[in-house]
Amino acid sequence: MKIQEEYFRGLREKAEKALTKKASFGPDIDLSEFYLCSPQERIGDIREVGDKLKEAALYAGVELESEKAATYLQVDRSAVYEKVQKAFEGKLEIMSSRKALEKYPELIEYWWSLVPVDADKYTAFAELCPTEGYFIRVFPHVKVDLPLQACLLVSETARVQSVHNVVILEEGAEINLITGCASVRGAESGVHIGISEFYIGNNARLTFTMVHNWGESFHVRPRTVAKLGKNAFFSSTYVLLKPLASIQAFPQVILEGEEAQATFQNIVFAKGDSYIDLGSTLLLKNKGCRGSSISRVCAMDAAQVFARGRLIAFHDDVQAHLECKGILFSDRAQIVSIPELEVHGAPKARLSHEAAVGPFEEEAVNYLRARGLKKEEALSLLTQGFLNLDLPGLPQALRQYIEEIIRVTSRDVL
Amino acid sequence: MLYVEQLRVAVGDSLILDGVDLEIGEGEVHVLLGPNGAGKTTLLMAIMGMPGYRIVGGRIFFQGKDITYLDVEERARLGIGMAFQKVPTISGITLRSLGRIILEKRGIADSLEEIAERVNCLYLLDRDVGKGFSGGEMKRAELFQLLLQRPLFSMVDEPESGVDLDSIALVGRALRELFERDQVRTKKRAGLVITHTGYILEYLNADQGHVLVNGRIVCSGNPRDLFADIREKGYGECARCER
Repeated sequence: MKIQEEYFRGLREKAEKALTKKASFGPDIDLSEFYLCSPQERIGDIREVGDKLKEAALYAGVELESEKAATYLQVDRSAVYEKVQKAFEGKLEIMSSRKALEKYPELIEYWWSLVPVDADKYTAFAELCPTEGYFIRVFPHVKVDLPLQACLLVSETARVQSVHNVVILEEGAEINLITGCASVRGAESGVHIGISEFYIGNNARLTFTMVHNWGESFHVRPRTVAKLGKNAFFSSTYVLLKPLASIQAFPQVILEGEEAQATFQNIVFAKGDSYIDLGSTLLLKNKGCRGSSISRVCAMDAAQVFARGRLIAFHDDVQAHLECKGILFSDRAQIVSIPELEVHGAPKARLSHEAAVGPFEEEAVNYLRARGLKKEEALSLLTQGFLNLDLPGLPQALRQYIEEIIRVTSRDVL
Repeated sequence: MLYVEQLRVAVGDSLILDGVDLEIGEGEVHVLLGPNGAGKTTLLMAIMGMPGYRIVGGRIFFQGKDITYLDVEERARLGIGMAFQKVPTISGITLRSLGRIILEKRGIADSLEEIAERVNCLYLLDRDVGKGFSGGEMKRAELFQLLLQRPLFSMVDEPESGVDLDSIALVGRALRELFERDQVRTKKRAGLVITHTGYILEYLNADQGHVLVNGRIVCSGNPRDLFADIREKGYGECARCER
């Protein structure tokens, strides 16, 4: 217990020193302008969740009442519902990270072990003013077919939610995790800080899908690092389709074990005055590591998008590819693609990148028109194809919702 | 069904077609011959209404309606279709999903798979349109879409190019189906086919042939006779004949 107390004291000291440290990218946010979000009451049965919360969850990819291996629901400051389906009891755990720290004091080994607590003011704030977050642990060799879902909602205006999530997949474990983060209708401004630390053991596989759906004046600052063991696999898909004030995230994957594999896929529909600075970093450290980072951006209105990608090779036998494609729908919108390839003492490493920003090829639009599609239908279809919304485990309703947004947006553009 | 009168078409600053006259009746299939650069593809593109093919003179009538300045999708809706020579890649959209959209547009529930099987496209259905297709696959995928679309008037740009000899028979059968060549009484669908090699004439009993040289139709007649003459004397003779 003493060790834990000392550890947290050390963290707090570091965090306090970093409270005014600006992030390297993205507009700086004065967190003192926002109150911390409020506690909420627990829910005994998921069917008791109000319609507004359900709707917000759904538009962030989470069907609360659908059959899932495990569910975590947080509203504002409180973990209001956690459940592991009977079939998976004893095979995996899901709970708030605060509860997990109480249950497993040794969890401090994983707490701020990947993301530095003093990385910037947002990580510091998350430690000093924490508002829960989820903890998921999957026991060795447990393979879960049904997706797990975690939903983090903000129901109040002008508040900060700062969550800290830890996911541990032990050796040979496999899950598909859908995380939806959203503000509830009516809560138009606020800040969401999300710290995520993923530990993916040897031969384990994590398929991670995150959908964000925030109010137009929300600022979002995720800070994510994943570490992969030998022959581990991590696939991360991030979807943002609604306008927000700003998001800045540069998640990192450390491919530590041999033959580890990681893929990032960012799907961004940038609208309104959104400021979007998203990227991914892959550190390829061992023999046979493979990675890819793919981003698809549609920018319209006066949206500003920075699509970053960083591949860093430390071993000769590694290979990774970076791809950023952007379509501009407006002369006020901006897409800046920033690829970085770094090789450290590994001259045989193979890193590549490909970037393209521009409108759709006229030839493709006209080809579809010759099949009888109206121009807006052709653009909508090309946009859907471009964003390639073939996401595993996404609820049908969300898929339809995404398609509808794309259809309407394409029509508006014309 | 299709009547083209003194059509003049420019691409960029170049005048490609300079006074084309053409008439294709209901149920008729015509073939278009001509050397490279004569304007054959341009004629098809202009009839289809593809942007970039600027009509600077003349008129196009389809079923008695002046379509000279109609948009491409409006022409498609009237019943004009085209199998393109050069197909763009449509990333993220499979041949199956585009096929479904075409069927939805027609408001019918034909079996997509059945038609795909007839043109050996079943294995292409879940691939992105045009992505990594070989020459032959491209042709078959185009014909597959036309068979779903069932236009009253279809234009096919070089159906046999890039297709091996075995597949030509399959392409030929698809064209017969498209133009209802095996029907005797109810034959209504018409078309215009560009051919370089003439192989397709073995499968398609075309009604008439036209030779296009330097942007003008210089000769019309029995397609087999025309082709035999061209084989013997080349297109140079057609140009001289024009004079």
